[in-house]
Amino acid sequence: MNIRKIVTLSEEILTEGGRPVTPGARVAIAVAVVENPWAGHGFVEDLTAGIDATASDLGALLTPKVIEALGAPVEAYGKAAIVGIEGEVEHGSALIHTLKFGDHYRKAASATTLLPAVEKRAPAGTVFDIPMKHITDATIRSHHQSVEVRVADAPHPGEILIALAASAQGRPQERLAPLSTEQ
Amino acid sequence: MPETALSPVAEGTSPASTLEELARELGVRKVTVLTEEILRDGSGALATSVTRAAAAAVVRNPWAGSAVSTDLAPETERLAPVLAKILTDRLTEALGGAGEIEAFGKSAVVGLKGEVEHAAALIHTPFFGNLVREFLEGTSILSFSDDRAEPGNTIAVPMWHKEAASTRSHYQTLTLSLSDAPHPNEIVVVAAASTGSRPHPRIGDRTTDRPVTAEILEGIL
Repeated sequence: MNIRKIVTLSEEILTEGGRPVTPGARVAIAVAVVENPWAGHGFVEDLTAGIDATASDLGALLTPKVIEALGAPVEAYGKAAIVGIEGEVEHGSALIHTLKFGDHYRKAASATTLLPAVEKRAPAGTVFDIPMKHITDATIRSHHQSVEVRVADAPHPGEILIALAASAQGRPQERLAPLSTEQ
Repeated sequence: MPETALSPVAEGTSPASTLEELARELGVRKVTVLTEEILRDGSGALATSVTRAAAAAVVRNPWAGSAVSTDLAPETERLAPVLAKILTDRLTEALGGAGEIEAFGKSAVVGLKGEVEHAAALIHTPFFGNLVREFLEGTSILSFSDDRAEPGNTIAVPMWHKEAASTRSHYQTLTLSLSDAPHPNEIVVVAAASTGSRPHPRIGDRTTDRPVTAEILEGIL
């Protein structure tokens, strides 16, 4: 695995809608910019070898980074793969859509649900939003939220940007009726 | 409590008990911290990775819509020192302490209902700069950028060596953007720092430069 850089972002929201948020609402992301394991190899039918060489290591690397950046227990989470323009979206999906990748984060966060994800192919500096849902019950409406990410110089055409996102709470000022009230 | 420029509350009320509460009282909407650890660049790995960080506070512009004759000093003296403390706390936490920091810089971006002068007020006086320098244990003047922009605009924060500003290897820029800031009546204030130089610095320094003048163009142009 060839990592060029690791980026973290944490955000603490102290007021929203003109009213205080107490305690501050915390959201964090951790990003690794890696060389696309399949770049320059043409159409690779079987992606298993590249997944085995990369996915688990990425999950193990990013999990403590995002949890440390959050600085609080994780209540909602999500993930992202942004593939540079010389790769396939399938390459990014390969690195994040296996248990090898996601189980590191699920275990560390005592989570049980699938990680919501965004995958796309884009140039460096693209803006993408990582969707997050509750770590044990994806129907908990208060925790449906997104965080925006932009890394100015990544991914290069032959790179993949892999990210994990975490939130310590639901949306700031969340006040929607729960799903159960409509059933 | 002695009366100081930092005093955040009216006489007879209790002071904010935490920096977070004080920030909220001063109109800080959110604080964002970006870190970037560079492991390799170009075709080669770095012998030692370099980590760069930016801490950004989004604060209500106390002067939005005010007359250009407004004295900016009172609010500057109230806001800027607290912002300097909040932002440098985040930087030292992100980078492992002031002792790890080699380069620093600052930026301010004002929303569209403000003047660039409002952004300048929050970063270009001793009430911000001296405190950032002190907390990050530097001696140089701080390099900077200031701007007026819509939310989501790219903010490029220039940095240079915190004790020897002309050290060429440490000229570097960290880029960030905040999707929803600054609102028209807000200001984004940023402090940034780096644990080292640019990746693979190799463009010499003023101590190694030969004399260069416009004469080198003779015979070319």
